Amino acid sequence: MSVESRSLSFEGVAKSFGSVRAVRPMSLEVKAGEFLTLLGPSGSGKTTLLNLAAGFVIPDAGTLRIGPDDVTALPPRKRDIGMVFQNYALFPHMNVFENVAYGLRVRGLPHAEIRSRVREILAMVRLDSHEDRTIQQLSGGQQQRVALARALVIKPAVLLMDEPLGALDRQLRKHVQLEIRRLHRELQRTTLSVTHDQEEALVMSDRIGIMHEGRLEQIGTPDELYRRPANVFVASFLGESNILTGPVTYLANGGARVALAELGMEITGEAAPGLKLGADAAALIRPEALKFTTSDESGMPARVIELVYLGDIIAIRLRLPQGQELWCRCFSGADMPAEGREVRLSWHNGDVRIIPLQSPQREN
Amino acid sequence: MTNKTRIASNIAGSIVLAFLVLPILAVIPASFDDASYIKLPPDMMSLRWYRVFLADPEWWQALITSFKVALLAATISLLLGTAASLGMQRVSPVTRALITGIVISPLVVPVIMTSIALYYVMRPLGLHGTLLGLALGHTLLALPFVVVNVGISLRGIDPNFLRAAEGLGATPWRAFRTVTLPLILPGLAGGGAFAFVSSFDEVVLSIFLAGVQAKPLPVKMWETIRVEFTPVTAVASSILIAITVLLFAVVKLTTGTRTSRRAEHVS
Repeated sequence: MSVESRSLSFEGVAKSFGSVRAVRPMSLEVKAGEFLTLLGPSGSGKTTLLNLAAGFVIPDAGTLRIGPDDVTALPPRKRDIGMVFQNYALFPHMNVFENVAYGLRVRGLPHAEIRSRVREILAMVRLDSHEDRTIQQLSGGQQQRVALARALVIKPAVLLMDEPLGALDRQLRKHVQLEIRRLHRELQRTTLSVTHDQEEALVMSDRIGIMHEGRLEQIGTPDELYRRPANVFVASFLGESNILTGPVTYLANGGARVALAELGMEITGEAAPGLKLGADAAALIRPEALKFTTSDESGMPARVIELVYLGDIIAIRLRLPQGQELWCRCFSGADMPAEGREVRLSWHNGDVRIIPLQSPQREN
Repeated sequence: MTNKTRIASNIAGSIVLAFLVLPILAVIPASFDDASYIKLPPDMMSLRWYRVFLADPEWWQALITSFKVALLAATISLLLGTAASLGMQRVSPVTRALITGIVISPLVVPVIMTSIALYYVMRPLGLHGTLLGLALGHTLLALPFVVVNVGISLRGIDPNFLRAAEGLGATPWRAFRTVTLPLILPGLAGGGAFAFVSSFDEVVLSIFLAGVQAKPLPVKMWETIRVEFTPVTAVASSILIAITVLLFAVVKLTTGTRTSRRAEHVS
């Protein structure tokens, strides 16, 4: 049994199911003690990647390592993993204590140690008075915590979580996100989690990997992904985004310019890697970077279509002359434009990012 | 549903139920008759034929043989049927449907044909007229009950339960013992009870396979009734019914709470 967390590495791992390429050859390292979330729409290959790590699925190619050890051919029971399932998969014929103790009993630990370790972890997930309850007597949130305790009590080298909050209602989810983050900071277990919920990924993770059609589109800290998305998919999957496409007319010194023929203007911004002069690219402007100007001359003309109040923030839907719609977000105040008004939009070039339409990996 | 239609449907239901059950239950008063032949209603209540049954070692032997054969058949069909159900979960749906068809076929093929076929197989093997021969024949007929009951239980088990156990370090055998087995217990109990009872009251197959050394109760009843129509066969029938009812009551009581809690969990 490992006492320390270990790294989890995928080295050129690939998996197909029939003609479906669930995971294309990729490499990825979850560092020891790190919380990494794979975020992507359903069918993007993220759950397959998790099952590869657990050993429930065997890769067609590549090597899997936990720490320095090659575990590619090891069955799940020898991998020293803790797994939290989306539906928790708690044993319905055992009470809370027995569920949590299962992994320790399998390891043949003495009764006294099992009792003290189960009690310790149950206290940590704040279920210490519930050890005799049956699973059916627990709420969804409590079941989630038992599942977490059962996976953590064996002090696994790597903790794997498949949509751990998917079965919880929205209110509870926020609470449990913070709870899981607290547990992770206390226990420092290497964690690979999978979700399609961007808020969950942003709140809990040290780093996020964005998955799309079996590829890892980009990996980085939440801040990096939001500020410097690698391509249009990442930009639109994480956060709200306004995308304006056109050919690249200038590319030098870390900057780029995209021509918007229909609007008769160009947009300048910070250049992402993988751009080609003359090829189509996208200018990304986040909704909070758009500003209204009072001057009638400069900026991009637009018409206000609707205002959506979100409490302290207001979202404004705008239509450009060529028909495309943009979203703008700002703090609500007295100077909000009325619906139907013509306004002009401006932004700082530093807030604009010019990104490729697709991941450059796609050309392979 | 209005009150009137509810009353009407209750009456209709009761009539059907009475039609199904009353002829079976009729043997019970008949068994307490004092007369020398079966008739309904009985003239005078007495335990005369129960004393006859208990005093005759041939009846006793038949009852014990039936018990042994039914126990053996239920055990063999539980082992084979559970193994088959587990295996059927791992094959493609087409293969599964094919195997299910083959396992169920003894219920579809007329028992008389199965009996004749088994007679010709068992004779040269020296199994004819033996306990084991009878038990093996009954296993054929009991297997569908086990496969169907255990199969239903297995389908109710979340595959993630086994993955969870395996992820926590359990070997496949340990996962089966600690997770699968407790969860399919109601299916095993139900299937085992059906297997036991189907063997206990099997007559056609038994007539072909029984011998002097191994004669189950239904065969003894059949032979007796051809010679004399005394209420002693009604006594034997009553005992059969009592054992059947007792068995299912026990199964229901011991597994009922568990299954209802499982159902709650699923909903």
